[in-house]
Amino acid sequence: MRNSRSERAGYLFILPWFLGLLIFTLGPMLFSLVLSFSKWDIITGIGSIEFVGLDNFKAIFHDELFYQSLKVTFIFALVSVPLYQIVSILIALLLNMRTRGMKFFRLIYFMPSIIPAVAVSMMWIMIFNPEYGILNRALAWFGIEGPAWLQDPNYALGALIVMGIWGVGNTIIIYLSGLQGVPEELYEAAQLDGAGAFRRFMSVTVPMISPTIFFNLIMGIIGGFQYFTQAFVMTNGGPLNSTLFYNLYLYNKAFVSFEMGYASALSWILFAIILIFTLIVIRSSSMWVYYNGDDDRD
Amino acid sequence: MIINRHKWSIGRLITFLVLIAGAAIVLVPLLWTVSTSLKSPAEVFQDSFIPKVWHWDNYKNAVTAVPFFLFLKNTLIILVPVMIGTVFSSALCAYGFARFNFKGKRSLFLVLLATMMLPGQVTMIPMFIIFKEAGWVDTFLPLIIPSFFGGGAFNIFLIRQFMRGIPKDLDEAAFMDGASRWSIFTRIMLPLSKPPLIAVAIFTFMGVWNDFQGPLIYLNTNTKYTLALGLSMFKGLYNVEWNMLMAATVLIMLPAIIVFFFLQKYFIEGISLSSAMKG
Repeated sequence: MRNSRSERAGYLFILPWFLGLLIFTLGPMLFSLVLSFSKWDIITGIGSIEFVGLDNFKAIFHDELFYQSLKVTFIFALVSVPLYQIVSILIALLLNMRTRGMKFFRLIYFMPSIIPAVAVSMMWIMIFNPEYGILNRALAWFGIEGPAWLQDPNYALGALIVMGIWGVGNTIIIYLSGLQGVPEELYEAAQLDGAGAFRRFMSVTVPMISPTIFFNLIMGIIGGFQYFTQAFVMTNGGPLNSTLFYNLYLYNKAFVSFEMGYASALSWILFAIILIFTLIVIRSSSMWVYYNGDDDRD
Repeated sequence: MIINRHKWSIGRLITFLVLIAGAAIVLVPLLWTVSTSLKSPAEVFQDSFIPKVWHWDNYKNAVTAVPFFLFLKNTLIILVPVMIGTVFSSALCAYGFARFNFKGKRSLFLVLLATMMLPGQVTMIPMFIIFKEAGWVDTFLPLIIPSFFGGGAFNIFLIRQFMRGIPKDLDEAAFMDGASRWSIFTRIMLPLSKPPLIAVAIFTFMGVWNDFQGPLIYLNTNTKYTLALGLSMFKGLYNVEWNMLMAATVLIMLPAIIVFFFLQKYFIEGISLSSAMKG
């Protein structure tokens, strides 16, 4: 039904979203863009915004902490995104087996991902404690002397990556639903052709769940670059800035030292980085993501 | 695979053992948190897993050491309107996109999808300034009001996908019978869209319960803190009292776990729905 009354009704129904887009997204984006070319001390009010051209961006490219936060975030993203995908797929494969009690296992594996990040952080601060934390006590059984995890600049970032594995539950669920969409006949056909388990995984499972991998990769990249709460609560960027995530640095610039212009410039650089990585994944997807019904592969 | 479904093989046994080991890795930190929350301060540093004496009073002390119930009240003051706003407003917009034709719909929908890619950090600073100029900083309004404007692109998308699957004849027949579009929306589309609406409600609950950066930025006075923010404050105050800290941690985990156990079906369906974005 497309007539002018129906058109008007359509507009009315999406009006809240459209207003939200203007007030909470497009307007602020424009404002943020202006701020990124300005210097501004928030205490003196909007009137005192001073336009400085590219100064913020120039300063950022001479800022050691900027490079440090970029390094931390890239290491985290490059290690954790693929690692979490691999772990999630492997666990999802196990959970996809049809055995009694599987529902119970699924619940357990999923549970950590619903626990608030602050609570998870508190829990792991204790787990990582070098003297009485459960991790180093467990390592001691094997005669390994665990490091001071969060207090040691060589281990702090690694500790946060390890902690993340514990919470991959919702990625697992998404893979599980992807796996359940793979037709059983494909496995049987491959088995008849003499394909072993690994071969079946590589040439049936992986292509068939590639849209799910694609989705999770993009979500993982976006999430990885915005990592904040755990780093803020557990290490606050330390020791020696070894966990100074980009988003944490941005927060410090904006809400600790109130350099709103500088922080806005940082946020646009973050946006550009996320955009570039997302585009790379999207562009490359035509080479490795298969959709059902696409018969012109090979 | 079908052939040996009911047979126990070595492979099957190994998988089972791996699953149990993984489940232990998931559960041990949680159980240890609970056990620490019940220990005496001295026992925290000992090797025991099960407390010798169960100090339930740790919980009583934890909720009085930090104003737990005040933080809970603050969290609920934000949570309830945000849930109403998000569910209602995303359903409204989803219906608009699912059932109406209007000029520019395709491009607007693309814009909606594109906003999902936008990192919140880009709008975080200008939003803070705008709310500060409006005098809303250190009130709950910045955390509540935006949820009434569309309820989030992802939620709209989720509900719209579902609504498109509802047979068109249903609402068209009602329309022919003279029902207004508003009553079609409230009496036909909303009741039929229960699964994605429940999923959105649960995700919203989790989002608010979890939110840390939002309250951190907007709430300055500690009597206005939410639970998540309050817990991090607790850490600073009682750094050494691990038993109390863990009791508070358990208390903030518990509602999330309870909600999950009662509504897990919707949880898992909602998450599976969300990955159905392909194609």
